[in-house]
Amino acid sequence: MTTALTHRSATAVPPRTGALRRVGQLRQSSPGRLQLIRAALVTLAVLTGLIAGLTAASATAGTSDLRDRAQPLLVEAETIYSALADADTTAAQAFLAGGLEPVRLTERYEADLARATTSLASAARLTPEGSAASRAVEALATGTTRYAALVATARAVNRQGLPVGASYLATASQLNRETLQPEAKALFQLARKEVDSGYSAARSSWWLMLLLTVFVLLTIMLIWSQLYLSRTTNRTFNVPLVAATGLAALLMLTSGFVFSGQRDMLSTADQDGSAPVAALAESRILLLRERADEALTLAARAGNGPHEKDFQATREQLTFDDESLDGFEWNLREIREQHQVYLDLHEKVRELDDGGDYDGAVKLAVGEGATTAFENVLDSVDNLLDDRKHTFDEHIREAGSGLGTLTWLGPLLALAIGVLAVFGLRARLEEYR
Amino acid sequence: MRIRPALAVIALLAVAGCTAETPAPVEAPAATPASTAPAAAPDTSCKPRASLRPTGTLPAPGRMPAGSHMATIVNNGRLVLGTSQDTLLFSSRNPFTGKVEGFDVDMGRQIAQAIFGDPEKLQIRVVPRAERTAWVRDGKVDLVISTMTANCARWKEVDFSTTYFVTGQKVLVGTGSTAKSIEDLGGEKVCAAVGSTSLDNIAKVRTKPIPVGKASFGECLVAFQQNEVAAISTDDTILAGLAAQDPYAEVVGPRFTEEPYGMAISKEHPEFTRFVNAVLENNRRNGTWAATYDKWLGTAPQPPAAQYR
Repeated sequence: MTTALTHRSATAVPPRTGALRRVGQLRQSSPGRLQLIRAALVTLAVLTGLIAGLTAASATAGTSDLRDRAQPLLVEAETIYSALADADTTAAQAFLAGGLEPVRLTERYEADLARATTSLASAARLTPEGSAASRAVEALATGTTRYAALVATARAVNRQGLPVGASYLATASQLNRETLQPEAKALFQLARKEVDSGYSAARSSWWLMLLLTVFVLLTIMLIWSQLYLSRTTNRTFNVPLVAATGLAALLMLTSGFVFSGQRDMLSTADQDGSAPVAALAESRILLLRERADEALTLAARAGNGPHEKDFQATREQLTFDDESLDGFEWNLREIREQHQVYLDLHEKVRELDDGGDYDGAVKLAVGEGATTAFENVLDSVDNLLDDRKHTFDEHIREAGSGLGTLTWLGPLLALAIGVLAVFGLRARLEEYR
Repeated sequence: MRIRPALAVIALLAVAGCTAETPAPVEAPAATPASTAPAAAPDTSCKPRASLRPTGTLPAPGRMPAGSHMATIVNNGRLVLGTSQDTLLFSSRNPFTGKVEGFDVDMGRQIAQAIFGDPEKLQIRVVPRAERTAWVRDGKVDLVISTMTANCARWKEVDFSTTYFVTGQKVLVGTGSTAKSIEDLGGEKVCAAVGSTSLDNIAKVRTKPIPVGKASFGECLVAFQQNEVAAISTDDTILAGLAAQDPYAEVVGPRFTEEPYGMAISKEHPEFTRFVNAVLENNRRNGTWAATYDKWLGTAPQPPAAQYR
């Protein structure tokens, strides 16, 4: 073989040797040509079966990775991010309230921390070891432990009436806002990217293109061989080959149906599920940021400072008009109205504080009215968010159906095509014996 | 290497001087590096304790001379005091009531009393230590009373009242520490608030402790309790407030600096500085100063004598 190959490349017009020469010689005789046709049909049928099976398997794997890993990771990342933001807001408000922190706020903080740590544990399971996402989860887990310890110290010291409690809280808040939240945001963005690549893995576009190519080649080969046979023999139809063509058409139709159905469900899951979930999750975090800014401005007691600037910048970003939310105009209008109610109260808080009535500003900010107004917006966003998460679950489940069947049906049908091709050509070959 | 920061300080001071007449809030952060950079040499170009002499007798509360800054304050309906909220005994937030209280706050209440006849007409704004002079210059507060040392570098940016308190820098260490003074802390991390003279002074110590700046002295205590720094060094009165919150901390060594506290007031309102000095003068004489000292810091010594230019 080696000598044959080097020889071939060394000479311009190669005298064919060995296997190659024998295959070449097959073209010269009629039975040889039939043998070639048979080999080509069987090869293409086997390839088609293999690729149909692999495409279905890849799409199944992609879809279940998206359903069981990427999208849940996005949801966990959102939970971690918003739980941390909410914990910061709550701690700052508890500080503002003065005295022993109100039970309502303590419970809320505890719930936030529990949510964050639970989500961190599940996120750790959902990220492959050594990946950027897994490193972010590790850093967050370490940081959250430190954060919880600082807040616990702040509360213990606060109970003794020592002013250093406020400094512990400031240190904790700084850790939360300057380290943990950016890390959680990075994890959230990584998860978004994984969802995007999850969709392209589930679509398996390269596999599908390959499948289409072998389908076309198989069909051409089937039709061409039948034309060749009817031209060189007396029979117009070769029944097994006609049957093989029918099976190929059936396989093509089934695959087409299953894959287009899957793609349809995927794009619905993306457009009506993942995209609005991501957009709403971001809005939710921005809302929490506003509330924390308000509390931190008052806690710093320095008047209109950097946190209020951040509030205004955050407010600019909070428009609730992401294009993925088209079609939810009714919900969005309600959310915008509720947000405006809260913003108006915030303006009053600022007016009071800037006008010198600090105590009045604190009272208004942590009081029933502002708390209810803020929680109304948050609840409306949460409702829409849950609704969209549900839509995603529904469609992703349907996207997976049918793929499993194709994984075994594809190779089986292709095998039948191959067998029929062998049968169809055996009768013709026997005529030369 | 030492010349460059010094030149930067001079340049910044020059900028600050030029813009002093038209306060621009955007200039505020520029003052931060100026006050935090270690000064190459002590500035002895002035007498930091000498302030503006009061003129005549105090006007009756609520009847401030027209055109004066005190009249503006009366119009505003409140005196805006810049201070801190975590300097125990001087100005700290009472965790039970949420009110900021202490010796410095009471000094402010006495000024409000003199202007309005009502000590409650006081709005407290917490000023980041590094921005105290900038806030006064930009008119964000009427005056700053916040354990603030009157020194020549700061006199270039703001005016100070006469000295209302004198203290000096010591060092706070853990009860198990062998250090007996700041000199024994060479190579160790020593914390002070960013923008305080204490931070500059740590850098000047011969044995070269490593200065670590935090936003406030409260956050220094957090760093100390979290073993991030070995010690905290600042005025012994502030350290006493910190040590009172931690039984495992003690204040050691002699005072290695002298810090005369003054109230910072904008250079645009010399009449207000004179007014404040007159109030201080009265309170030294009538025992109010001593009573305030007794209330927060224990048995009062003789009040620091006023010096004028």
